[in-house]
Amino acid sequence: MRRIMVLALQVAGLIAVDQVAIALTPHLPLPLPSNLVGMLLLALLLLTGLVRESWLGQAAALFQRHLAFFFVPIAVGLMAYGSLLRQHGLMLLLVILVSTAAGIAAAGWIGTRPGLGERPPAPAP
Amino acid sequence: MTLTLLGLALTVLAYALSRWINRRHPSPLTMPVLLSTPMVMVAITLAGNGLEGYRGASDAITWWLGPATVSLAVPLHRHRQVLLDHGVRVAAAVVGGTLVAMVTAVTLARLLGLQAPLQAALGLKSATAPVAIALAHQVGADAPVVAGIVVASALLGTILGPALLTRLGVRSPLGRGLALGTISSGQGVAQAFREGELTGAIASVAMALAAVAVALLALPLAAFLRRS
Repeated sequence: MRRIMVLALQVAGLIAVDQVAIALTPHLPLPLPSNLVGMLLLALLLLTGLVRESWLGQAAALFQRHLAFFFVPIAVGLMAYGSLLRQHGLMLLLVILVSTAAGIAAAGWIGTRPGLGERPPAPAP
Repeated sequence: MTLTLLGLALTVLAYALSRWINRRHPSPLTMPVLLSTPMVMVAITLAGNGLEGYRGASDAITWWLGPATVSLAVPLHRHRQVLLDHGVRVAAAVVGGTLVAMVTAVTLARLLGLQAPLQAALGLKSATAPVAIALAHQVGADAPVVAGIVVASALLGTILGPALLTRLGVRSPLGRGLALGTISSGQGVAQAFREGELTGAIASVAMALAAVAVALLALPLAAFLRRS
């Protein structure tokens, strides 16, 4: 029972941050989506120590484990796009395949090439 | 109201069943969103109400994408040491990877003659689904199409990414974590954690930052698509 109460309070905390972000977003110079503003706001609160990870950690873990659940309904909306998928599905798949591979290669290459502000790694034994 | 509750129950049931199948047969191909989405589609079609009857449940669940996205700050903060140690490299890989994925997708889509809303949706695909969905309107794409493309992209990235990285000689946890987190968001992070704790930590930082990178790059993308 106590665990459920703690979890409910933590979820309420995440909702509160999201609501503040929704109120804040229209006043920002950049048109970022409010959920992303909420993420950055919470990161700031955690970094400054105003909010502790232990206050929200369990709820955050729960959301991350089940993140997919929350966008299932939007994916279900694809039902209305049957003709679009039949018409362009293969081309979409091709574009996704090529650009995903290119992005992974680029990020992986930048992630391993030497000389980006770190000392070179010790030679392998 | 009853319809909303039925839709909620249906979605929870489909998701729970998908998780169960995924646990018994772990593979990117059994990832829960890939199984539960068609289950719900079939069920609401058979029930005869279709998307219209599902709207209440859909809105109720989608509302939670806000707090769910906010929660991504926790792993970002927990693994902030990655940023302190490799800040320049992390930023370069996230921005570079995001930019390459976006430019390749939009350019290829144009060459193939796909229309602007599809080009836009493809451009957003490396962000985590809730953020990509939130950006859909801004670039003139449809949210369900964006969601489908993000899922397909995360799936392909998770299946092909590790082998591709090995082939390219990317063996360090840093390189692999950055690539998987930047391009394949949640699925990529899960895959990265299967490779190791450090790889996973790096991927979760990359995923959160990639969402910011896609959101910032969505501005020039929207302007570019409006102009052409």
